[in-house]
Amino acid sequence: MISPMAPRTLAARAAFGLLATIALAGCAQQADDTIVVGLSADITTFEPGMISSRDNANIGDHIFSTLFTLTPEGEHVPSLAHTLEISEDGRAYVYTLNQGLTCHDGEPLTAEDAAYSFNRIADPANRFTGNIPGFVFTSIGFEGAEALDDLRVQVNIERKNPIAFGLITEVYIYCKDAYERMSLDEAASNPIGSGPYRLASWTRGSEVVLEKVRDPGNFQRIVWRIIPEASTRTAELIAGNVDIITNVVPEQIEAIDGSGRAEVEIVSGTRRMYVGFNLSDEHAEMPGGDAIQDPAVRRALQYAVDVPTICRQLLSVECERATGLVNIQNANPNLEPYPYDPETAERLLDEAGWPRGDDGVRFSIRMQAGQGRYVNDVNVVLAIVQYLEDVGLDVELELMEWASVYTPLLRERRTGPLFFLGTGGGLWSPIYDMTDIAQVESGTNYTNWSDPRWFDRWPELVNADDPQEQRAIIDEMLEVFYEDGPWLHLYFQPDFYGVSNRIEWEPRRDEHVELFEARLRAQG
Amino acid sequence: MGAYVVRRLLQSVIVVVGVTLVSFLALQAGGDPTYLFVSERASQEEIEATRRALGFDRPLHVQYLSFVRDLTRGDFGQSLSYRQPAMEIVLEALPATIELTLFAMALALILAIPFGVLAAINRGTAWDGSITTASMLGQSIPSFWMGIMMILFFGLYIRLFPISGHVPFLTPLLSGDVGTAFANLPRTLYHLILPGIAVATYSLARNTRLVRSSLLEVLEADYVRTARSKGLSEKRVLIHHALRNAWLPVVTIVGLEFGFLLGGVVVVETVFSYPGIGRLLFAAINQRDIPLVQAGVVLLASIFILLNLLVDLIYVRLDPRVKLAGGRG
Repeated sequence: MISPMAPRTLAARAAFGLLATIALAGCAQQADDTIVVGLSADITTFEPGMISSRDNANIGDHIFSTLFTLTPEGEHVPSLAHTLEISEDGRAYVYTLNQGLTCHDGEPLTAEDAAYSFNRIADPANRFTGNIPGFVFTSIGFEGAEALDDLRVQVNIERKNPIAFGLITEVYIYCKDAYERMSLDEAASNPIGSGPYRLASWTRGSEVVLEKVRDPGNFQRIVWRIIPEASTRTAELIAGNVDIITNVVPEQIEAIDGSGRAEVEIVSGTRRMYVGFNLSDEHAEMPGGDAIQDPAVRRALQYAVDVPTICRQLLSVECERATGLVNIQNANPNLEPYPYDPETAERLLDEAGWPRGDDGVRFSIRMQAGQGRYVNDVNVVLAIVQYLEDVGLDVELELMEWASVYTPLLRERRTGPLFFLGTGGGLWSPIYDMTDIAQVESGTNYTNWSDPRWFDRWPELVNADDPQEQRAIIDEMLEVFYEDGPWLHLYFQPDFYGVSNRIEWEPRRDEHVELFEARLRAQG
Repeated sequence: MGAYVVRRLLQSVIVVVGVTLVSFLALQAGGDPTYLFVSERASQEEIEATRRALGFDRPLHVQYLSFVRDLTRGDFGQSLSYRQPAMEIVLEALPATIELTLFAMALALILAIPFGVLAAINRGTAWDGSITTASMLGQSIPSFWMGIMMILFFGLYIRLFPISGHVPFLTPLLSGDVGTAFANLPRTLYHLILPGIAVATYSLARNTRLVRSSLLEVLEADYVRTARSKGLSEKRVLIHHALRNAWLPVVTIVGLEFGFLLGGVVVVETVFSYPGIGRLLFAAINQRDIPLVQAGVVLLASIFILLNLLVDLIYVRLDPRVKLAGGRG
């Protein structure tokens, strides 16, 4: 006979049972077929036409494949397509697809689907504002895509463009029938891609789970967890709940390296950090704005800033100072980074007609910077200001909220006369890095620089078919930029990744988090 | 009472519209949001095209009136970053925050009452001193710091609780999947413990002090003295006479507490990577996703207003001396 329990005993047992279950719930182990990545920013969409952030694109790159792709070293290699032929006038790009391709729903992927993938994104009725329509298509002057037969798709562009081949590697390919069946809302959360992984689940603000459908890839599941707070990401990595984290802050490197469970991998990124000299007429009338109009003053200031020390002390890395706007592997090899030499800086400023006054000041100037955007940005800016003041400048620093205050000013090309900025670059083409300043009126010519020795060479550069001839033009242009350009050259921003000892993975330099080659570390 | 409720609800509409206007203007004062939706290499033409696509090329008053017109139809518009109906996204995040808020409220209440009573009945002793000091500390410690310290100690050092994340209970429950909801419950609670404590600490401290001071006041009252002089046991005096009357200020605070906690979990949700409405709105504000912010603000304001109304009505039930303005009580 079972005797009835007193209510108090019952409650106590129930509470104990619940606590025991709770405790057991916490003992889940990470499976060997799963890799977990901690990201700092939320994922907002899987609509190929709307993806704009790097974190979002990093997941998209596993769901959607492209016709060709770029390797970590910047090499242009086949992916869904095996060959690319470019017409003589440089306006038609014909890709031949591999046989037997399918999308995640099993639908065969043909040239018609590839053409649809391009044209759907460009369709103004869809009002897409992501990276592909907003940057890639406008940069290449996309006119349309058409299927020539089952396997050949032709992409037409307005004019010859020496970097169109690389920009097209950013266009995701998917199947027409699946996307025609879905509304735009549905497509944003139910991607049916062509890549090695398919979306298994998406808990908004929390995690995205991908499942492998084909090679390449060594893990059956990839879990992308959204962990905005840097110290929480670090704690999850050290606790062994996450295998890779992005955007480790330099102050936490020691904690991770000392944990014995993970290490920080530092790569020199492709983002070019610089102090811009705004040379617009408006800025020329401001204090100090007239001084920096003179290339000799700009050159003098290159010697005033100790970039290697900034890297070592504030970014926790050894770095090589940039010589221009092109990533080092594609830079002009004959240019040496400006050394830190404040005496030379002072002498050149004297010679340029800006001697120190009685108060020790040569000229006053305003410097503007956004905050919270780049690694340790505020401290870096403060250090630069100090270096400039050491050679006799009186710098009025304005630190601004990045998104709402600094960005609009920047886009209107009104920051300055001095401003701090980092712009994304690439390894696959020096011209890609140079297109920031392709025209005087380019939206990204934030400095309003207009030197004809640079801008007049562009038609020649674009039309040069011989790689050696093209390289010679590039080197000459980079020399002008180095000597008389509108940037005070700094460094390529380092990227910090925390990587668990459980995993073998090499980060790329271009901020792409690609996991196809990641694998479990062999047990020693 | 019916007329009173209707009048209060009508007043609430004005308040909600006012809230939307203030938040709309505040977001617009932050600058042109278009730049947040274009690539850093976008040309001026692309920026213009995007501005048109997002509707930011229209005059401010037109944008706002268009929003209010849609609002009257229950349409909050599409989130600019998610490209999905804004209210749908907010409602998706709401259950997680309600779970956290209820858990924190429960902690703050369940512990505040014994602590407050213990301090009050032992006034001037070491018990009272310790509880009062701990309460002051609890009100002084910022929740994000508390959260990070708990992550380091309980999550990383002794590894007793998860560092971040969330396992849903209410979402499957509301969608009718009762089995999944209750299967999730232990893990839901397990994930709620650290963020729950971080959120609850301030309220727990404040409630403890409130219970203590309220009870001390009541314990000095004539009717308590009368009860004692009748020879009732101290326990009976405390539970049946003193505590009952000490409840009123506590109910007021607790009612408003839910609204306060609901809107105040932003930092804790961020620290613990907890996918609730606070973190969603924080990201939306940074992204100038105006429809999403408006949907969230309207929802939170409405909850807060309804809770206020509810507290007033409960007050009338608890204290017969309180009359509703214009009503018969």
